[in-house]
Amino acid sequence: MSRRWLFVLALLIALLSCPPQWYPMPIRLKLTEWFGAAGFRGLPPSVEAMATEPEVFCPPDPEGWRDRQLIEDVDIAASAPCVADNPYTVATFVRGSNNVSQATLLKSGLAADAVEKGRDLDGDGDPDEIHIRLEVAELNGGSAVVPGPVTRYEIAPGIRPGLWVFAPKFVGMAVENFESNRARRSLRLPSPAIRIEQGDTVRITLENTHYMPHTLHLHGADHGFVDVSGEGNDGVPITSEMPVMPGDSRSYELSPRHAGTMFYHCHVQPHVHVMMGLQGLFIVEENRPDNWLQTMNIGAGLVRVPSRSLRESFDREYDLHYLDLDKELSERIQLHNDPRLITRSMHRDYDITDSAPDYFTLNGRSFPYTFRESLLVGEDDERIRLRVVNGGAKGIALHTHGHKFTATHRDGVALPEDTLAPQDVIWLATSQRVDLALELKNDGLHSYGPGIWPFHDHQYNGITSDGIGPGGNISAIVYAQYMDEAGWPQTRGVSFDRYFTEAFYRKEIPVWESYAPGLFSDTGHDLLMLLRVLGLALAGGIMAALGVGALIRRSRGRKLNHNQGQS
Amino acid sequence: MNPRALFAAGLMLLLPMKGSGQDGVDHSKHSAHQMTVDPAGVVMNQNHDTLPRDCTEISRDYEFTIHAGRKYAADFPGMIYGMSQHEVRVQPCSRITITFVNEDSVRHQWMVHGLPKYLYPAGMFHIEASGGHSKTGTFIVPGDDRSYLVHCDMAQHMEKGMRGQLVVGNGSGDLWGVAGVSDDFYRYSYLPWHTSLLAALVLVFAFLATLWLAKKW
Repeated sequence: MSRRWLFVLALLIALLSCPPQWYPMPIRLKLTEWFGAAGFRGLPPSVEAMATEPEVFCPPDPEGWRDRQLIEDVDIAASAPCVADNPYTVATFVRGSNNVSQATLLKSGLAADAVEKGRDLDGDGDPDEIHIRLEVAELNGGSAVVPGPVTRYEIAPGIRPGLWVFAPKFVGMAVENFESNRARRSLRLPSPAIRIEQGDTVRITLENTHYMPHTLHLHGADHGFVDVSGEGNDGVPITSEMPVMPGDSRSYELSPRHAGTMFYHCHVQPHVHVMMGLQGLFIVEENRPDNWLQTMNIGAGLVRVPSRSLRESFDREYDLHYLDLDKELSERIQLHNDPRLITRSMHRDYDITDSAPDYFTLNGRSFPYTFRESLLVGEDDERIRLRVVNGGAKGIALHTHGHKFTATHRDGVALPEDTLAPQDVIWLATSQRVDLALELKNDGLHSYGPGIWPFHDHQYNGITSDGIGPGGNISAIVYAQYMDEAGWPQTRGVSFDRYFTEAFYRKEIPVWESYAPGLFSDTGHDLLMLLRVLGLALAGGIMAALGVGALIRRSRGRKLNHNQGQS
Repeated sequence: MNPRALFAAGLMLLLPMKGSGQDGVDHSKHSAHQMTVDPAGVVMNQNHDTLPRDCTEISRDYEFTIHAGRKYAADFPGMIYGMSQHEVRVQPCSRITITFVNEDSVRHQWMVHGLPKYLYPAGMFHIEASGGHSKTGTFIVPGDDRSYLVHCDMAQHMEKGMRGQLVVGNGSGDLWGVAGVSDDFYRYSYLPWHTSLLAALVLVFAFLATLWLAKKW
């Protein structure tokens, strides 16, 4: 008897709870016919925005690294954006780590044999014997003891994909201090841009400090298939040599006859290793007298000691290294610590033919960090050379606002004079290089005048970070008069606060929250609807229990009848 | 589980989480460190004769020769780099001279953390030997029982085997993840394929067997 009442009660709850908008359409129409529209019930209010504390846009520069300075007789140009390279490291790259004072070497952070410069073979006043050492470092890797990535490096607020980079040979720790676990400032993406002079006798020693085999392949740069001793020199494990095992080293030799913007990368399992970041710009400068080159440009960007040939026809030079990253690949070094598991995961389980890139970097950072260090800053009427490489898996449609640039070289070779023409979108295939001449000449063609003019990939995934925009490789051409003292561009009526917030790239901040709080915020919840759904669930539970009970009683009854029938 | 060891692990887990934000200075710029760089490597914050505050005299002199390189990981599956000994045990207030012999062709480091900061800038003593070189350095430990982290701070070298401990006196419990001494804190399960299927079969078998037995009894 009580069971029957319980059933009726459950049915009543179900009928009362069922939201009217879920009634079948004929019933809704019939009810409307009888009673008209339902009364007004306001939609749930907007959720109040969460309070966030943006990061400092411009880190302080207490030692004046941004300033123009003279170190070891090297004139180091000023760097306008707020984060600049250590000028002592720059000076050491120019003079050679074997030719600078102990004080400069200590301040540079470099090892004594990081870049050794020897004799002047052609007697033109600059060294032509160059010995470069490269190590391999892992950023944002895994650990069996500490949670979260170790040797941390952020491409944008809160974004720490696992990365492998070639690195100059430093001394001391990989992190800036033991407590922070953050990679030292000069240990970063991208692998450094390397600059040598046409005809130099260059030796590059790869000291494999990583835990996997690697090689060095000089893509596009004139090098012999074998070195003087007959050893393989192409860095390709299927044709020229065995890879360099962890803890081992190997030297590669070249004396390039041709100048141009080239590329270098690891050639072991390239679809994985190159895409993890083992790639850098390799620039062969034309031979000039007294041409002391900045052998490495850490993090690419502004060349603070440009070559003689550059200074003949340009005012500044920037190295631009584009790279996209697939988080399904880069996270694999964080999921395991055992190298055998990492190796299987990266080279067997990961399938690049099913991949899509998620992060898009310019000189190792994504927006908004690109605004700290990868702005192209120039003065009115300057001529700027851009050496650009697309190291990513996807093509790039590089576009400039406010300017048309001219591509002068492609893959290190000059384009015919009569084909040169200004353009504002240039296509870069994977691993392709172009040299661009950017003129800040306000003539309505090359430039539309001073300002803060974005430049970015016009393929739309490239301007996001894992689908959140603005992100990706957005940066800007900024005229000097639009830069403030600290190195931040004086934007007009916009705030970067939310972009400098981890929550923004975790997709937690509504896109236009800051434009008009409340207008496009996240919605609150309908508590009455929640109550109705819970009521339906309650009624459903009761009915199900009654049904199962009835079934059990029925089968018991049958058994009982059966037994009685036997006796 | 040893609660002190767990605490020590907790400390090690928490320490690296401190500090955030993007700005920072190059480690190499710490002008307070006493160091010289030569082609064989670096010794940083060497201390031959300044006593820690809680020591009245040098209790004992130790000399250790520690080799480093890939071959010292050979006995530890899943490790790439290793040291000839991952644990160093000494008396409180003793003076320790380490000769660090690098048998690889790349840099390696023997670095102690957590020493008194009034004596050792940033609380560390550090030997770095270039590939194929050896370097010797001396330091004095304080008087309290404590276990200090020893590691190579090249990116991933600690994670891939070069993690040890310096145990002063009775120590303060083993650190996690020291090769040959203690387990990894985050340990992969290393189960064969289809373990879940096998476990499900065992579960079904146990269920049916119990039913059958219950009926029988």
